[in-house]
Amino acid sequence: MKIAMWVNGVHRDLEVPPLKRLLDVLREDLGLIGAKEGCGEGECGACAVILDGRLVNSCLLPAYRAHGRVVRTIEGLGTPEHPDPVQSAFVAEGAVQCGYCIPGLVMASRALLDEEAAPSRPRIREALAGNLCRCTGYERVVRAVERAALSPARACGAEPSPNPAADLEASPGDEVVVHVPGSLRAACEALARGGVTVVGGATDLGVLMHEEIVAPRVVLDLSRVAELHGVRREGGALVIGAATPYADLLRDADVARDLPCLHAAVRSVGAPAIQSLGTLGGNLANGSPGADAVPPLLALGARLRLVSVAGEREVAADAFFTGYRATVRRDDELVAAIVVPLPAAGTRQSFRKAGTRRAQAIAKVNLAACARIEGGVLRGVRLAAGSVGPTVILLRRTMALLEGEPAADLDRLAEAAAAAASAEVAPIDDVRSTATYRRDVTGNLVKRFVASLCEMHTR
Amino acid sequence: MPAPSDRSQVGAPIPRLDAWGKVTGATRFLPDDPRPDAWLGAAVRSPLPHARLVSVAKTAAFPAAAVLLTAPDLPCANLVAMVREDLPLLAADEVRFATQPVALVAAPDRATLKAALAAVTVELEELPAVLDLDAALRGEGPVWGADNVVAEYRIDRGDPDAAFASAATVVEGTYVTGYQEHMYLEPQGVVATPRPDGGVEILGSLQCPYYIHNAMKRALGLDGDRVVVRQSPTGGAFGGKEDYPSILALQAAVLALRCGHPVAMIYERREDVACTTKRHPSRTRYRSAFDAEGRLLAVDVDLVLDAGAFTTLSPVVLSRGVLHVAGPYRIPHARIRGRTVATHTPPNGAFRGFGVPQAAFACERQMDRAARRLGLDPAELRRRNLVRDGDTFVFGQTLRPGMAAADLVLARVLERSGYAQRRREARAFNARGGALRRGVGVTLCLHGGGFTGDGEDRIKGRASVRLDPDGAVTLLVSSVEMGQGAATVLPQIAAEALGVPVARVRFHQPDTSAVPDSGPTVASRTTMVVGRILVDACRQLADKARAFAGDKCADPLAAAAHAGLSATAVYEPDPDIAWDQANHHGDAYQGWSWAAAVAEVEVDVDTMEVRPVKLTHVVEIGRAVNPVLCVGQVEGGTLQGLAWGHLEEMKLKDGRYLNDRMSTYIIPTSLDAPDFDVELAELPSPRGPFGAKGLGELPMNAGAPALAAAIEDALDLEVFEAPVTPEILLRRWREVRR
Repeated sequence: MKIAMWVNGVHRDLEVPPLKRLLDVLREDLGLIGAKEGCGEGECGACAVILDGRLVNSCLLPAYRAHGRVVRTIEGLGTPEHPDPVQSAFVAEGAVQCGYCIPGLVMASRALLDEEAAPSRPRIREALAGNLCRCTGYERVVRAVERAALSPARACGAEPSPNPAADLEASPGDEVVVHVPGSLRAACEALARGGVTVVGGATDLGVLMHEEIVAPRVVLDLSRVAELHGVRREGGALVIGAATPYADLLRDADVARDLPCLHAAVRSVGAPAIQSLGTLGGNLANGSPGADAVPPLLALGARLRLVSVAGEREVAADAFFTGYRATVRRDDELVAAIVVPLPAAGTRQSFRKAGTRRAQAIAKVNLAACARIEGGVLRGVRLAAGSVGPTVILLRRTMALLEGEPAADLDRLAEAAAAAASAEVAPIDDVRSTATYRRDVTGNLVKRFVASLCEMHTR
Repeated sequence: MPAPSDRSQVGAPIPRLDAWGKVTGATRFLPDDPRPDAWLGAAVRSPLPHARLVSVAKTAAFPAAAVLLTAPDLPCANLVAMVREDLPLLAADEVRFATQPVALVAAPDRATLKAALAAVTVELEELPAVLDLDAALRGEGPVWGADNVVAEYRIDRGDPDAAFASAATVVEGTYVTGYQEHMYLEPQGVVATPRPDGGVEILGSLQCPYYIHNAMKRALGLDGDRVVVRQSPTGGAFGGKEDYPSILALQAAVLALRCGHPVAMIYERREDVACTTKRHPSRTRYRSAFDAEGRLLAVDVDLVLDAGAFTTLSPVVLSRGVLHVAGPYRIPHARIRGRTVATHTPPNGAFRGFGVPQAAFACERQMDRAARRLGLDPAELRRRNLVRDGDTFVFGQTLRPGMAAADLVLARVLERSGYAQRRREARAFNARGGALRRGVGVTLCLHGGGFTGDGEDRIKGRASVRLDPDGAVTLLVSSVEMGQGAATVLPQIAAEALGVPVARVRFHQPDTSAVPDSGPTVASRTTMVVGRILVDACRQLADKARAFAGDKCADPLAAAAHAGLSATAVYEPDPDIAWDQANHHGDAYQGWSWAAAVAEVEVDVDTMEVRPVKLTHVVEIGRAVNPVLCVGQVEGGTLQGLAWGHLEEMKLKDGRYLNDRMSTYIIPTSLDAPDFDVELAELPSPRGPFGAKGLGELPMNAGAPALAAAIEDALDLEVFEAPVTPEILLRRWREVRR
């Protein structure tokens, strides 16, 4: 496939296999070896580069996704003679030890400072959470970013603009066909022809290809379908385009204000480089029980808009999953949008994730919860839990137990709800946790949420 | 000697000399250089932990271009020489651990290699496997030798039975620690290139060039000149590239010799985690006798390490563990028994700390347990029992004046962290209820720098310096830069010894054809031991230059630049050191480094997620050659210890690691790390260069026990294991409250 991209300010025309990893394109085709492979599955961030201003893991990104884009790598950031302030600060603070993770960490720091000139310590830690370093303990790294924040970024000349509309041109030898439609209509038509692998953010595809679990022949990439992007208000609901990257959702003021549980869940997905690519649509269609952003959708009573050449239908988010990685989506349908009704006034929302660590973590348990107190009783109680069964589920029996109950005795109610919630989940033992832990923690989190409602009640 | 002409020498916090290459992406690690002529090598591995190897064969689909080597085909002795020579390069008739190589394959490209690997059939007859420590201790199998005991050490002092009988309080506890994966960011890799003279050259990501050199000479029967080992810039090691590269280099070497091409073996993450060594799991039974004032009378300790299926370095790890298991405490009577026993699991190996983190965890947990029983503050119990100058360790080493700093670091860390007040504040916070609990824990550790006893005398490390025509001095040592800072710190030491700025010193990339054997880059010995040898070499060179240039010359090195001068020094033992290796008794270490840490944690009792909030660490390391690099070592090592204490869990199933990916073996992110506050206390040591002692491993010891103590304080329950996972904590929290 012929692709064109700007790399460190230089226009590059390349002919590469469409699914070749951007990491390999940079290292093998362009000789830019600064980006490293530490894991091959988007965990370590040693391969991180900046794509159109956002940090991405180049080990997960297929080459075709870089077409028409602007890529910055460590080689384009600065030299010892003309360094970027981040590089100078890393040297001065002693933030470098073995150096293998450093190109990725430096790029992550640059991406943060480009967006936020004076980030707080917690923000710095959050922004670097997808870049694993085994040497430093991160203290010097955080200090280096604080120091770099005091210096203005080096002017790097006129940055070229991305050209997202650029058409892809297949090469005769391509073993994979890639469709990157610009419209929903075209996307549905491509899907209707069958045999395609649908790609949203490509973060799962990258992992599955690395593990040789999948080898797609025809790819339908939704990243440039205009109708699938953005968040808009439609009556009493927010309509979220299914291919909107998490990074955009995270920066959306309506989502942050009206759907705080979704905002919190999105923030807990992987780390910034994953959020730059990952999408709600992909998270849903994948059907993983551990999908972090899905429990809030169930708790908020979201509906999913499924579109095909035959038409459109809406399905309640809690009716979407039918089993482990199985959904009601037909092969000819796309998850096009997520329609989230704005919660009733006074609704308290909560999202909690007990993960394997504080970022870049797969959930052991997660819980999204919504409820309000109206006329002294609990209303609109919706609890959704992930990683506690083959699908994300609504805790219906617990919800029924709580709905309409007087808010006078929340502590007793919380105990009963905890017991009910623990009883209605069906978790397993696996490499990350135990069934017992998952069951107990589900109960604890439900209990904590119910008990916390009394803060509202007494207010 | 001229006065130092800038402040780049010892004590100066200069930026590391390799920093710019690393922050600009210019540094080329092994995978960064294209090698179009290199073939690719891989191992065919056993899926079973214990089996009779019936056959290894090619199917018809095996590509003609590829090469297969099985044990009978090996062009060399089937062994990887380490402490013993029991580890075969390839299993010959019996497989003793899952992932053990049974054959090697090389092919000109990735696709052919993949086809070749798919076209090898391995026939195994499964045998019963011994997978747990208790079965191994019962002698089941046996996996190794007559009774599975790969090594045993004992320390006996005084009359412990009488001391226990007279004790006011006896405390007992059993403490277990798990595997730990190094997870250096750059996976293991070597490239072997056949030489025209029949020898072979190795380029790799490694810690110990001469360990590989020796293993190659032994197995291949080559003389030393025909084996060359060079180190590529190494993206982290932590002990993981101490012993394993000998295995990988030999694999690549025999393939290269067979196919006549360079052979690259560069692991992807999954193979690296699945197949390379880990920190030894341990179990320690600990009994302590105290008098009525809370003073230690005696300890009775039984330390067991899981060696895995072969010896590798386990006896040495055990020795160090046994020597540290009584901790920095004054103990008149002791009975300590250490054993490392074999199981049908992948051999465990070197990991920063080398047996001490396991020992320190048990010792420090036991002290906290004792403090609870005795009703004393944990810091106060430690203060009453810590060793001071003049005290004698249980293994017979008496601390000479200036050697003990346990009281210093403990006092400093309590003050710096505001320990007493932080504990009171945590109590008040916890009394309010809610989901979060706070806790504060203290720990006191020590680490012996350099090889144990007369180990340094036995290896007699050498270091050379060469005066180059431009007036600069090149350091020729086999100590490698792997992130820890050797390529900056050794030049600083040499610059100080020569009286020149660091800019006039070069560090030669380790290469056995160019540098002498300074010993391996292990055991916190590089700064203290190799630095000292280097000082001697530098002084010889300075003398030669002065003899050449005359006493009046202001810059004899510049004046003698074209004289072709060089100098080599050899390790000189301290004549006062007395060590009895047979009885494991005497002056075990010449430089003890000391550490005290206070950890503050927050625990969410709903999920039992533990968040280390703040970690204050005071270390006494003699003179800090480069304070910024020292602090970085402390912070990084401490986080490895903290994470081993609660996050890093490695599970085994049927003798194979389940957590063989970065997404399942959990190392900490920036959000999992606490804010660090580090203080370097400096009591210059007479043994190290300009007073420096060892540092690299010391901080690894304190993290896990300090964290466990803080968790105990937060939750008011007891912690016996590392890692103490949320799953364990939730269960124990329920039990305690039932």
